[in-house]
Amino acid sequence: MLHGTLKARMLEIFRFRMYFYVIVVAVAFFILSLQVINLQLIHGTEYKNRAKSNMENYVPIPAPRGEIYDRNFRPDEPGIHIVTNRPSFNITTIPARFKSKSEFKKVLKILSKILGMKDEDLKLEMKDRNPWERVLLIEDVTLESIVKIASNQHLVPNIDWEDAPVRIYSYSNMFSHLVGYIGSISLSEYKARRNEGYKYYHKIGKSGIEKEYDSILRGRDGFIRRVVDVKNRTGGEDVGQKPIAGNNIILTLDYEVQKRAYESMGDLNGAVVVIKASTGEVITMLSKPDFDPNHIIAKDNSEIIKELMNDKNHPFLNRAIQAKYPPASTFKLVTAIAALETERALPSKTYYCQGKYTLKGTVDRDFYCFKPHGSVDLNNAIAQSCSVYFYQLGQLAGPLALMKYAGYFGLDEKTGIDIPGEDQGFIPSKEWKYKNFGQSWYDGDTVNMSIGQGYLTTTPIELANLLAAIINNGIVYKPKIIREIRTPDNKDVIRSFAKDRLRETPLSLITINAVKKGMRQGVIDGTQSQLSLLKIQAAGKTGTAQTKSVRKEDSSQHAWYVGYAPFDGPPEKAYIVCVMVEFGMWGATKAVPIAYDILAKMDKLGYFK
Amino acid sequence: MMKRDAIYKTDYLLVIAVALLAVIGILMIYSSGFDPIDKVNSGLYKKQLLWFIFGFLLLTAVTFINYQLLGDYSLHIYGICIALLLFTIFFGRPVRNTRAWLNLGFFSIQPSEFMKLGLVIVLGKYLELRERDISNFKELLIPTLITLVPVTIIYYQPDFGTAITFIPILFIMLFVGGADISHLVSIVLIAAIALIVPMFITYREWVGVEGSNFVLDFFKDTNMLFAVSGAILIISIISYIIHKIRVKKILRRIYIPGTVISFGLLFSVFIQKYFHNYQKKRILVFLNPDLDPHASGYNIIQSKIAIGSGGFIGKGFLKGTQSQLGFLPEKSSDFIFSVVAEEMGFIGAIIVIALLAIIIFRGIQISFEAKDKFGALLASGITSIFFFHAVINIGMVIGIMPVTGIPLSFISYGGSNLIMSMIAVGILINIRMRKFVY
Repeated sequence: MLHGTLKARMLEIFRFRMYFYVIVVAVAFFILSLQVINLQLIHGTEYKNRAKSNMENYVPIPAPRGEIYDRNFRPDEPGIHIVTNRPSFNITTIPARFKSKSEFKKVLKILSKILGMKDEDLKLEMKDRNPWERVLLIEDVTLESIVKIASNQHLVPNIDWEDAPVRIYSYSNMFSHLVGYIGSISLSEYKARRNEGYKYYHKIGKSGIEKEYDSILRGRDGFIRRVVDVKNRTGGEDVGQKPIAGNNIILTLDYEVQKRAYESMGDLNGAVVVIKASTGEVITMLSKPDFDPNHIIAKDNSEIIKELMNDKNHPFLNRAIQAKYPPASTFKLVTAIAALETERALPSKTYYCQGKYTLKGTVDRDFYCFKPHGSVDLNNAIAQSCSVYFYQLGQLAGPLALMKYAGYFGLDEKTGIDIPGEDQGFIPSKEWKYKNFGQSWYDGDTVNMSIGQGYLTTTPIELANLLAAIINNGIVYKPKIIREIRTPDNKDVIRSFAKDRLRETPLSLITINAVKKGMRQGVIDGTQSQLSLLKIQAAGKTGTAQTKSVRKEDSSQHAWYVGYAPFDGPPEKAYIVCVMVEFGMWGATKAVPIAYDILAKMDKLGYFK
Repeated sequence: MMKRDAIYKTDYLLVIAVALLAVIGILMIYSSGFDPIDKVNSGLYKKQLLWFIFGFLLLTAVTFINYQLLGDYSLHIYGICIALLLFTIFFGRPVRNTRAWLNLGFFSIQPSEFMKLGLVIVLGKYLELRERDISNFKELLIPTLITLVPVTIIYYQPDFGTAITFIPILFIMLFVGGADISHLVSIVLIAAIALIVPMFITYREWVGVEGSNFVLDFFKDTNMLFAVSGAILIISIISYIIHKIRVKKILRRIYIPGTVISFGLLFSVFIQKYFHNYQKKRILVFLNPDLDPHASGYNIIQSKIAIGSGGFIGKGFLKGTQSQLGFLPEKSSDFIFSVVAEEMGFIGAIIVIALLAIIIFRGIQISFEAKDKFGALLASGITSIFFFHAVINIGMVIGIMPVTGIPLSFISYGGSNLIMSMIAVGILINIRMRKFVY
C-alpha cells in the first residue's frame, strides 16, 4: 500500500516534469523562431544589402572635374587652361573584409613594402568607424604604384584603388580668389546636398568659381562592380558605369589683362576689377594678398592653411567683392549727379576754393582741401578733385539726395556677381545715425559724405558699377565671370550666358555729359594726367580714403581709381577699370599707374578697336 | 510476434522527419561544397549520403533489439565509450589541434558523439535503479561523476563545445529522473552567480564604461569577495551543524542559500583570478558580436547576414552568395543552418525548426508513455541531446547563443553525429514499439 502510494506519487512527479520539459522546449523553439523572423523578415532587406556589399566589390570612379579656360578660348585651340587636372590614384579598402585585425595589419605592411613606403605613411584610425565603410589608405599615388599593386594582388587582397584626378591651378596665385579651390565635403555640406548625389567622400568647391559652379564642374561618378568571393577571386564579368566628366567653363576673364594687372599690383594689397560696361563681363578681377590654391588642396596642407588663416592681411578675403572701403573722392561723382539731377545746381556753378571750407554753426568747423584751387566750376572740381567745391555742392543737394543717389547706384547692394561670398557697401541714413549714435544728422555729416568720407563704404565692384551706370546712361548689367559652359571635349556649347540687366537708373543727358567731361578733364590736366599718355582717351576719378585704423604711419590712406576708356567711343566699347590699393597714400600716385598699365595692355590687345 | 507488429508499430512520423532533415542536410552539404568559381564540388555530400544509408540500416537494426538490453549492458557500453575516448586522446587523428577523431582506415569516427548516447544509457539505468533515493542530495554525486569523466576527457581533447553539451543532458535526466528541484536550482544558481559577476566586470572594462560604484568595487576586489564568501560559507556550515544537532527548520533558510551564494562567489573569484582575459572576452563576444567584428564575431556577423539576406523565400539552391562565395565559415558543419536559411529562406528555416521540434516532441511523448522508468529516462535523455544540439547550434548561428562548435543533428555534415542520432532515433522507435509489451 505504502509502496503503491509512493509509486503513484513518483509517477505524478514524473508526469508533471514532462509537462514542464515540453514547455521549456516549446519556449526555446519559439525564441529561435522569433529570432529567425527578426533576421529574415524584419531585417531582411538590411541584411540583403550587407550580403550584396559583401560580394560586390564596388569601387567608385570619380568623374574628372571640368576645366576652366579664359576668354581667349577657341574650340580647336583652347589656349589658356586656368584650371585643369592631372591623373592620380587613391588606394582604398574596406576594413571589415579582413578576417582579423592582425590580417589587416599584415596586408597593410605588405602593401607599404610593395610601394616602398614607411609603415607610418599608412595611418589609420579604426575606432568609431563603421568597418564596412570604404576608407582611404593612401592619397595621390602614381600609376606605377598601382601597377605594382595590381601585379601583386594575391599578396594584398581587398586593397582597391580608384582614379582620383588632382586639380591643377595652372597660374597659382594669379586667379586664387576668383577660381577658388576644392576640398573634402563637410558634414553640413553633405547633409544639405546629399540628394544632389554628393557622397561623403566627394570633393566639393569651397570658394570662387569652383564653389559657384560646382554642379557644372563635378560631372557624375562612375563605378566598377564585380562579384568577388571571400578570397577576392572574381566570378562573373565586371559591370560598371563610366564616369561622366564635368563640363568645362569658359570665363569672360582675359588671362593677359589679368597677368598685367597682377604684375602691376606687385606687392601692394588691394583689388582690381575690369568690367565691360555694356555687358557686365568681368575682364579682370584680382585681390591681394593672395594664396596658391594648389597648396590648399595639397596632401599636407594643414600648415599652409593655418598660416594663411592667421595672416593679419587676410589673404582669403576677396577684396574686389568682399572688402568695404570709404569711396572717398570717387563719391564726388555721386554728389555732382545728386546736385545736378535735383536741379540744385548747374554744371557752370562756381565756388572759390582757398584750401578750406568753414561750416558755420554754434561752433565753426573747418574742412580742408588738399590745396587751394581758386575759382572752380564742376568740370574742374571733378578734374582737380576739389573738396571745397563738393562740400558746398553736397550741402546744396542735401543729405537725403546724396543718400538717395548713392542707393540709386546700388552702393549698398550686392551686384550679384557669380562668385560666392559677395558683401555690400553701406549708405548711412538719418535714422541709422540716430539709432547707433543717438545723434541727429549734422551738416558736418553731409559735408563729410559729399566727399565720400564718414560712414559711407563701398566695395570695388560696386564702384565699378557706378561708372557703368554713368557710361550706359543709367543701365547697369550684372557683373558676370562665366561666358559659356562647354562639353568635356569642348566641342559643343551647353549654355551661353547673355548679359543680365541689373538695374536702370535714367539720368539726364546734361548730368551725364557734365560728369563724363569732368572725368575726362581729370586725365587731361587733373589728378590722373599720367593716363593722357595712353593712345586712347581715358576718363576717371581718383580717390584717397582716410581710414581710422592706422597701421602704417605714413600711408594710412587707401588709394582709389575708377575710370573707363574710350571716352570718345560708343558705350558698347567702354571698359571700366577700378583699382583699389590699401594704404596706397594718394590715389593719383599708387592707383593710377596700375590703371595705366591695364589700359595700355588692353589697348595693345585690341580691346578698343 | 515482434516481427509482425514491427512494421505496424514503427513510428513513421519520426522516420519521415528524420529522413526529410537528412535529405535537406545532404542537399545543403552539396550546395556548400560547391565552388561557383572553379565549378567543382568537394564531394562531401556523397559521404554524407553513405553515412545516412548506413545510419538508416543501423536505425532499423536497433528497433529489433529490446532496448532493455541496453540497460543490462549499460556499463559495458559506457566503458567502451570511455575507452574509445581515452584511446582517441592518445592516438587520435589531430584536426586543427583537436584529437577528437579516431582513424579507422578509410573513415574516421568521433567517439565523443557516441559518448553522448552512452552517457544517456548509463544515466538512464542508474537513475532507474536509484529511483527512490534520488531526491537525496548525496545521490546526485554518482550521476555527476559519471558525466564528469567524459566531460573531462573531451575537455582535454580539447573540444570545449562538445564537452559542455553533456551538462544539460545530465540536468534533463536528473530532472526527469526525479531529483529534488531545490538541488537542481541550487546548482544552476551557483553556476549563474559564478559567471555573471566576472562577465559583467569584463564587459564594463572592455567597452570602457567609466565610473564606479560601491557594489562594483566590491565585486572587483577579489580578496574582499573571497573573504565575504568564506564568511558566508562558515556561517552556513555552523548553522548546518546546529541543524544536525538540534533540528531547527529555520536554519535551513540560512545554510541552503548561504551555501549557494558562497559557492557561487567562490567560483566567480576563481574565474576572475584564473581565467585569462581572452577567455572571458570570448564569452562576451557571443553576447554582442559587434563588439569585435574581426574575431569570432566575424563568423556570427557573416552567418546573420546569410540568414537575414535569405528573406522569405531564399536565394535559391546553389544561389546563396554568403555560402557560395565563402563568406560563411564552416558552412557544411556548424553553420549549415545558415546555408538552409540563405538558400531556402524563412520557409526552409522554419521547416527545419519544425521538423526538429516534431522529433523532440515525439521523443518526449515516447518518454511519457514508456512502459518503464528506464525507457522514459532513455527517451528523455535522447530528446535532450537533440534539443540542446538544436538550441545551441541554431542559437549560435542566429546570434543568440555562444559560439561553440556543435553540429545540428541530422543536417550538419559529420558521420559520427548522424550515425549516433539515427541509432538514438532507432532506440526511440524501439521504446515506442514496446510500450504495450510487458
